[in-house]
Amino acid sequence: MPREAEPSLNEKQFVIQALQENLRLDGRELDQYRPLELSFGDQYGLADVKLGKTRVLAKATAEVTVPYTDRPLDGIFTIATELGPMTSPAFEVNRPTETEVLLSRLLEKTVRRSGALDTESLCLVAGQKCWSVRVDVHVLSHDGNLIDASCLAVVAALRHFRKPDTSMEAGVLTVYTPAEREPVPLSWLHSPFCVTWSFFGEEGEIAVLDATWIEEQVRVGSCTVSLNKHGEICQIAKLGGTPVEAVALLQCVSVSLTKVKEFSDLLDRKLAEDLKRRDKGGFMAELRAENDR
Amino acid sequence: MSNDRLFVLPGETIDPSLIPSHPKNPLRLGPGLRHIPPSDIVPTVAGQLITNPVKNFMSIEYNSTHYIPSQGDIILAQILRSTTDFYLCSLAPYTAPATLPHLAFESATKKTRPILSPGQLVYARVSLANAHMDPELECVHASTGKADGLGPITGPGCVFDVSLGFARRLLMARAVEDGGVGVLDMLGGEEGGGLAFETAVGRNGRVWVGSDNPKTVVIVGRALQETDRSRLGMERQRRLVKKLVREMRWRD
Repeated sequence: MPREAEPSLNEKQFVIQALQENLRLDGRELDQYRPLELSFGDQYGLADVKLGKTRVLAKATAEVTVPYTDRPLDGIFTIATELGPMTSPAFEVNRPTETEVLLSRLLEKTVRRSGALDTESLCLVAGQKCWSVRVDVHVLSHDGNLIDASCLAVVAALRHFRKPDTSMEAGVLTVYTPAEREPVPLSWLHSPFCVTWSFFGEEGEIAVLDATWIEEQVRVGSCTVSLNKHGEICQIAKLGGTPVEAVALLQCVSVSLTKVKEFSDLLDRKLAEDLKRRDKGGFMAELRAENDR
Repeated sequence: MSNDRLFVLPGETIDPSLIPSHPKNPLRLGPGLRHIPPSDIVPTVAGQLITNPVKNFMSIEYNSTHYIPSQGDIILAQILRSTTDFYLCSLAPYTAPATLPHLAFESATKKTRPILSPGQLVYARVSLANAHMDPELECVHASTGKADGLGPITGPGCVFDVSLGFARRLLMARAVEDGGVGVLDMLGGEEGGGLAFETAVGRNGRVWVGSDNPKTVVIVGRALQETDRSRLGMERQRRLVKKLVREMRWRD
């Protein structure tokens, strides 16, 4: 298995030295994100997030299946992450690296376990039929901070997603095609986002947001905070690394909240734009006899 | 870059009238061309054909991000590990390592050879680049025994990745006139307020920028990458330099 290419000693030393002088290689502030781009596909549930050179694509799909026997009233919701060799030759299919396991765990904790999607609303017939919603996360390009970009992509894809409308009449379940009935959005409770801090310096006293790949290679620790725009924290993960002072961490969390509000606003704005783009003029336009030809 | 140069595709036949013929010097082929015996010269990449009748030299100018070593190229390599007789170096991530003999440094003997640790950078020349073989590097001129500026890179500085075409333009003898790259001159000149820095440009698309002031390194690196990425012309390069220098002053 090819190993991840390592940055040279000169680069490592310089990144650390520059950070001690509040400088980053791309000229950003320490608590500044790279330019964030979010776009949706033509289909429902396809979100493409670009964070500098990092690019993540998330696709949400739904199908009707049988619910788990121990949870007859719940639908099924899964998040599948895939880091393929296209991202970097160090990633192989079917052999998850540590990065991939951590990424899927954090997404799971942030989105699924925080109850962002109401799984009870996915139930169609108790114990017999339910929706299985699946989000596939494809990392197209890896230049650091995969977690934040992936989390935003997953939440955006799910909020953009529409599942086919259904009806129950006299014990018969009907799933309508988009032509018959307009697909319906998922029952979404809150939008959590991840904000990852990287720590540098002897005692982790320098906290940096949105680390690039090279910064991730030299950091002494990292901490991922997941919260929604109301300031409700879903999880905090500080997996190993140099211990960081509690006061510094509190400061990080409060800055995270402002960032999450920005993400939330961006997502709301983009969703509204997308809705406008899809809306061909409402009910009256649909009733018109003339067509585009 | 002039537009009258011929654009060739891989495998295309080159018109014999375009191949320079010199009474004495042997014909030298640069990157992108391959000699198929007995007498065929075939392009292996798509790009512009460059011929130099005086030096009896021809090559292909193309832009890509995948570096293929070619003899005589000056490159920026990274030491991977040391073996008994040579260092293994990487020219680009995920390619076969190149070998750099322990004795291929200026005035190096078995006892005085430089000890390099993994991850260190060396500025070296490709001395051997045959197809299907690992390339070989040297940090000394084989005939004169002088380093000519090659060797291990020490001192504060950082490496920035650029495209191969941009690296070649930077390495041109007249980078401003022929290559259309003036950022380095501008940064050191009046637009940049006379920043003091040094660079080592490798044909493998890596540029080392060194300066005692980290701010200068960041400005130069960003200017180079931005010029490369957005394919800036001279006037826009000047504006970019001014903008970057102003931003940095403002942060002080």
